[in-house]
Parts: sequence; C-alpha cells; structure tokens
Amino acid sequence: MSAKGFWSRFLLPGGIWLLLLFVIPICLVLALSFGYTDELGRAVYAFDLSNYADAFDPIYIPVLLRSIGYAVATAALCLVLGYPIAYYIARHGGKRKHVLIALLVIPFFVNYLVRTYAWVALLADEGLVNNALKDLGLTETGIQFVNTPYAVIGGLVYGYLVFMILPIYASLERMDGSLIEAGKDLFGTPSRVFMHVTLPQTKQGILAGCVLVFLPAVGDFVSAQLLGGPDTYMVGNLIQDQFFAASNWPFGSALTVVMMLFLSIWMLGYLRSAAREARDPVSAGGV
Amino acid sequence: MSGSRLSRRQLLQAGGAGALGLYGLGALGGCTVERPIDKPESTAAIKPEIDGDILIYNWAQYMDPDIKKRFSEKYGVEVNEVNFDNLEAMVTKLRAGGRYDVIWPSTEYAYRLQQEGLLHRFDRDKLKNADGISAFYDGGWWDPDNEYTVPYAYYTTGIAWRNDLVSGMTGSWNDLTNPDGAGKMFILDDFQEAIGEANLINGWDLNTADPNQLDVSKDTLLHQKEFARGISTNSTQNLVNGTAVIHQAWNGDIVNVRNQVDNPEDFSYETCKEGVPVGSDLMCIPITARSPGTALMFMDWIIQPDNAAQNVMWNGYPQPVDGGKEAFASLVKDEPSIDVKLEALGDGGMEYRLDNPDDRALWNQVWTEVKAT
Amino acid sequence: MTGVPPTAVGTGPLGRRRAKAREDGFDRPRFLKLYSWLVYLYLFIPIAVVVLFSFNSVKSLQSFQGFSLQWYDDFLSDPTLRESLFVSLRIALITMIIATIVGTMLAIGLVRAKTRWSPAANVLMLIPLVTPEIVAGISALLIFSQLGIHLSFWTIVIAHITFSISYVTVVVRGRLASMGDEVEQAAMDLGATRFQAVRLVLVPELWPAIVAAGLLTFALSFDDFVLSFFTTGEDTQPLPVRIWSAIRFGVSPTINAIGTLMMVVSLTAVIAAVLLPRFFGRKESGIKVLTGQEE
Repeated sequence: MSAKGFWSRFLLPGGIWLLLLFVIPICLVLALSFGYTDELGRAVYAFDLSNYADAFDPIYIPVLLRSIGYAVATAALCLVLGYPIAYYIARHGGKRKHVLIALLVIPFFVNYLVRTYAWVALLADEGLVNNALKDLGLTETGIQFVNTPYAVIGGLVYGYLVFMILPIYASLERMDGSLIEAGKDLFGTPSRVFMHVTLPQTKQGILAGCVLVFLPAVGDFVSAQLLGGPDTYMVGNLIQDQFFAASNWPFGSALTVVMMLFLSIWMLGYLRSAAREARDPVSAGGV
Repeated sequence: MSGSRLSRRQLLQAGGAGALGLYGLGALGGCTVERPIDKPESTAAIKPEIDGDILIYNWAQYMDPDIKKRFSEKYGVEVNEVNFDNLEAMVTKLRAGGRYDVIWPSTEYAYRLQQEGLLHRFDRDKLKNADGISAFYDGGWWDPDNEYTVPYAYYTTGIAWRNDLVSGMTGSWNDLTNPDGAGKMFILDDFQEAIGEANLINGWDLNTADPNQLDVSKDTLLHQKEFARGISTNSTQNLVNGTAVIHQAWNGDIVNVRNQVDNPEDFSYETCKEGVPVGSDLMCIPITARSPGTALMFMDWIIQPDNAAQNVMWNGYPQPVDGGKEAFASLVKDEPSIDVKLEALGDGGMEYRLDNPDDRALWNQVWTEVKAT
Repeated sequence: MTGVPPTAVGTGPLGRRRAKAREDGFDRPRFLKLYSWLVYLYLFIPIAVVVLFSFNSVKSLQSFQGFSLQWYDDFLSDPTLRESLFVSLRIALITMIIATIVGTMLAIGLVRAKTRWSPAANVLMLIPLVTPEIVAGISALLIFSQLGIHLSFWTIVIAHITFSISYVTVVVRGRLASMGDEVEQAAMDLGATRFQAVRLVLVPELWPAIVAAGLLTFALSFDDFVLSFFTTGEDTQPLPVRIWSAIRFGVSPTINAIGTLMMVVSLTAVIAAVLLPRFFGRKESGIKVLTGQEE
C-alpha cells in the first residue's frame, strides 16, 4: 500500500460522517425549502417557489436585517471588550497568563440559558440592579434594561465574547515580540506602534474572532427570546417558530436558506483564510 | 499553488458534490418528511394494568414530582418525564414517532390527534376514580364517548395586573392598552391566545377564520404591540420581577405569582367581558405508547382525590375532579376572580378550536406577521 | 454549541524578547489592567448571582434571605431531573469518545495525506464551525425524520458528534502541523509498519492534544442546548432542554442549582483538559494546546 493510500484512509470516517450527516442534511433543508405543507400539517417535498416569495416579503426582510445589525453590533462590542483584555493577558499576563485565560473561559461553561436567565434576574425592573439603584436614590422608577434591543445585544455579547478573545489572544501570542522593538525604533510612540505593528499583525485573529462571533449571533434565538421585547424578533426566532410553533417546516427551511445566503460571503471568507492558514501557518500570521 | 486557485478547485468540487446531491433529492418530490407512524391493527380498549415503565410528555413544571415518585414506589415502575413548551412542538415530536405513554393535549389537540388515529382507546368509566370527574368532561365534543381523554386541569385566560401601579381597569380586553401599563404590558406568546383576544375586542367569533376579520385583528395586535414590553409566556416571572404591570395571563399563573411575592395583595386578575377563553388540558395515551396499561393506571392515580389536591397546591391550576376542585377553591378564596366556574365552560365560556388546517395556517401566518412586524 | 472555539492553527516565534519590551509605554498599562478587571467583573457577576441564589432559602430571584440547600434537595429528589443529569453526562461521554476518534483521524489524514480530496475534506471539516447552530439542528431533525429514525437519545448523540468532529480536528491538527514526520519515518526505517508507527509514535505524541480536544468536546456537548432541542425525542431530555422548557414558564431557583451543578461538571472537564497534558510528560499546559499555541 502506498503512503498516500494509507494516509487517505484516515480521511474516510470523518469525511463520510460529515458528508452523510452534515452536507446531505443541509441539502435536505434546501430541498424542503421548495416544498409545501399538506392538509395534516406535514411537510411535503415539491418544487414550489412560494416559500421564497414569502421569505422576501417586506415583513420578513427587516427581521433578517435586524438580526444582521444585532450581530454586527455584537461583534463590534466583543472586539472592543475582547481585544484589550486579550492584549493585556498576552503581553502582561506573565506567569499568571494561563490562569487569566482560564478565568475568562470559566463563565462560558455555565449553561448559556442559565447565564442569560441570570441577566434577567439582575436587570429586571425590580431586579437586583434596579433595586440597588433605587436604594441609592439614583433613579425613582428604575431603568428599563430587559426586553430591549440593548438587552438582546448584551446577551449575545455575553454569550459569544470568548469566541472573539481566544483567536485574538492566539494571534497576539504568535506575534514576534521583536517586531514591537523594531516598531518602537521606527514609529516612536506606543500608540503608533500599536497602530502600525500590533494591529496589522493580529488582523487574522481579529477577522477570525469577528466571523466566529458574527455567524452564530445571526442565528441565535435564545437571547431574543429571553431578553427581547416586542420589536427584537430575530431570524433565529422566526425559524424556530416555523419549526416548533407554526409547524411550517418548508417556510422555515426557506428562511434558513435565505439566512445562509446572506451569511455565505462571510463563511467563504473564513473558509478561505482558514484553508490558507492551515497550509501556511507562518505567513498567515500576517507578515 | 496560489490560494485562489486552490479555493476555486475546492469550490468546484463542493459544487459538483452539491449538484449530485440535488439530483438525488429530485427523487424526493411528493414525499413527506415524516414517515407515517405504524399503527397497530387492533383497536381494542386497553386495560389498566402494570405493563412496564412509562414516559410522560407534559408542560414543564405542571406536575408535582412527588406524585410521580409515589406512583413509582407503589407500583415498582419508573415514571420518566420529558417536557414541551408548546403543543405544536408536542405534535411534531409525536409525528416524528416519539413513543410517549401519557401526553397533555388541550381539548382541541386531543380531538385532532384522535381524528388522526394517534390515540389509544380505553374505557374511562372503568377507572377507580372515574366518578370524581366533573360532569363537564362527560361526553365533550372532543371525546363524545369518554374513550380517549381524562381531564387534567382547566384555566381561563384573562389579564393580570398590579393594582398598586395601574388604575382604571375596566374588565375588558382593551385594558391591555391601559395607559398606566404602557411599556410594561405583555401579550402571551401563543398564537391562539393573542389572536383570540383581538378577535374578542373586535366582536368577532373567538375562532373566526375570515381573512378580513383576521386582518382587522392583526391591526389590533399591532396597536397593542406599541404598548407592549414583550411577548412572553413567562407571566409568572415577568410579574414577580416587576417588569410587567399588565400581563395577559392564565389564571393558574397568578396563583403562583401571589405565592412568590411579599405583596400578594397588589396582584389582581380579571376575566374580560368580551369573552373568557377557557382551556382544558387533558391526558391521553398515544397509539405509540410502550406501556399503555401503566399509563392508564397513572392517569387514574392523578385523579385520585388526595393526589389531585396535592397537585393543585403545587402547580396552582384547578383539577376538575374531586379533591382538586376543593383544593383550588381554598387556594383562591380571597380572590374569586381567579376561580373558574365549570358551569361557565358550557355556553358562556369559549374554547379555542381550529379544526381546519388551512385556518390554522392562516392564524399562524397572522401571528408570525405580528411578531415580525 | 456555545463554548470555546478552536482558534486558528499555527505556530510562530514567541516573543522571546518580551522581557525587554516591558519598559514600553504600553507595558505600564494601568488603564488596560483596570479595563480587564472590569471585563472580568462583567463576566462573573451573573455567575455569582446563579451560585448565590442557588443557596437562597426562599423562592425569590430578587432578594437573598438566607442560606439553604433546598433547591439542591429539590433537584436531587426529582428522579426525572436526576435522570436528565445522567443523560446529559452519557451524551457528553459518548460524544467525546466518538468525536475524538473520528476527529483525530481526520486531522491526521488532513495533514499527512496529500490526495486531491484533501482540500475538499478540509473545507468540509471547516463548514460546521461557521454554520449557525440552528441550521445544524434543523438539518439533523430533517434527516432523522426523513430516514424514519425516531428521535431519541441516539439522535442527540449523533447530532452532537457531527458538530464536534471539527472542533477536535482543528485542535489536534494544530499540534500535528507543528510536528515533523521524522520520528515516524525513523520508526518505519527500524521495521515498524505504518500502522505501528501511528499507534506507537504518532498517537502518543498527539496525546495531549487529543485529551484536551476530547474534554473540550465533553464540555461543549454537556452544555449544548440548540442541537439537543431539535433532536431530543422520546428519551429523557438532557438538562439544557429541560431548563429551556422551565424558563419559558415561570422559574424556580432549582434552575440555579442545576446551573451551578452543571458548571461544576464542565469546569472539572476543562480543568482536566488544562492539567492532564502535564501528566503525559509535557511541560506546556492544556490551554496552549487548546488555543493552538504550541511551540
């Protein structure tokens, strides 16, 4: 047996598994998006474009745009919150570096639902924060935190922050410290060194982080369900409702396909850069 | 090898595989996603006898776990429980072949499931505690011969509000748009409850499927949305944590709210003059049940007076059987508006009932549009 | 699955001159430090609320009245909730074992095999990482319904494995890419078959990454809600699905007790992921393995 033949066998179990249980099922979603619902409420495959006509109805487009807007805001906030802390740990963590990173990861192992729910307890109109503010005399009637778009975005940030921090941390760690030395000679002030050396060097990590936060955030339905108000309905909620409340699987599938189309540019971008990086890790660092 | 060349080849490969897949999927045209459920040939009534462990499929937090535990200890079988968060999801999982032993549909869903042939037949009068069941549940439209259902609980839909913060409540569904509650009002996240109350406000039949009438009701809901803080089924928590001061709610939830707060007297509940939707949750045995005999024994156990009383004290919803009725009356003795008069379930009360799938689809579409707008 | 993402693979010169860089202006970063601690505070406040209120003596999420273990007692005395915990653990365990084996093989194949199918396999492997979980959940529900497979314990397991393979592959490949194949070659020169070289040389070398990836998978699966929600069926539901049903209709502080217990389980897995590689004779911690920071 040739070496090539030997090694390619290792590709088989995973490749076949993913093909059968990931790719083909996604093709089924695509196929069902052209289907319809029969009299008993069962989904039937067909070739019918009406689900797409519905999906592009002026009522649903804002839902999709809103989800993308929330996800962009989430990614931006995660970057603002996550970059400095990743930078701090990577550059100044010293011996405690691993402890600091572990501390960052711990909250993400409390169940996402429970964590989101804890925010409700904290931020409700007569919740812990508002009661404290009232006791301090800072507000008379309390501040309305929950059931607002801010709460939904806050919940998403809280849910996905770690997806931003770890890639950025990895890219900062990978960076050659001597580059900063050189940058200092070249650019002088720390902020200019940061802008001209550090930031470009970690571009790859930032992009990976943004994609890894943005994509799941678009499809999320937990945050809007638990923290949202009347006008924070996201595409994830819409799809979820089609499957489990309205029992309209074909329409839910069409919405899923439309969402994936909107996301595909980002997905392809990530896939290309990840594929490049896998082949050539050093240059992908951005040198 | 340049990055773009490789990518292009990868994409071509992926595209090729996709095209092949689509070709295969073309053969699917006309197929349903779900497989038909294998229904047993025999339609003999099942007998109450222990024939194995059971799996019950219920709303979350709707039954005192102690009642399951004691049944389990008494008969030496396991009682496992799974939960759904809406009835449509329950039907979805049932159609996907889920093998549950006891389920908790509403009257309307019990009727649908029975029409589809998805329920086991049994002789309810043979149950030990059958005599305690309220007459209202004797030969209802959903089960004329008492062969498929045992009643579990009943409830009204009305409006819960904070009487210390809201004034000028009028006993009408229009109270949802009481200005005192603006920005702190919730509508139930349930397509029937939401559209139903709008239908009543507009003077339509509760279950109207007239597209023009539903269009008007949709506008009513969109108007209400301007006053709403959210759309949610968690009325208990929204009221307890002060986020809601007006909440479309089921009467059992207000019992739970009053149990959890320091100021129960500030929480009121009203049913509305335009109409009071009344719901009943029933217990049924799906055709796919593994242990229908144990399931029947379990339903009998639930309506045993002492168990019914214990359960009512636990979940705050009245049970229409001896023991359960009295327990609920004691729970709400200082707030009669929360009580449900079973007589009212007859002609005055209204039940949700959408038998025609097209009507359901229309209602669902209206609700989806309200939520999305 | 929400949780730790695998990060981009790669190696690079670590900042060996970092000690010198300490005098830089950015290196006396009081502001940065304060900012970081605020972020930590933001991350930990809700966790503290969950843990604190799991010990509350009254059924309130607004005021803490005193210490009590009643919510833990509630949880432990409810047989179906207890069963849910065991189901979650079993799902996570099986997912961990199968996904780790399949994912590791895929990683080895991707790095070592240079066939014309490798690029396609590489893309295939990465797609799950960038697919919103709801899409994976829906597609799993559709394929199971289509094949007439009853939704059950095993459908959840299969969906979890499908989504976990890529995580394992990315973590293991990160380590593999930084290793040459010299030792394997040497082993084969000494008469080992290829299979023996893999078993006796490659796998032991990869072991820290495999263990770390496996435990990460365990934690992700244990915590997963969305995939389980779509694929759960007639068998006992895993804990997160029960939490979801419960928080849609009122809530009892039992949720906090469950959340705290789940955190303890996941943390044990993560801490093991960080510490275990050391027991295999490696100096670096598992965090480096997980974040692809191998030297």
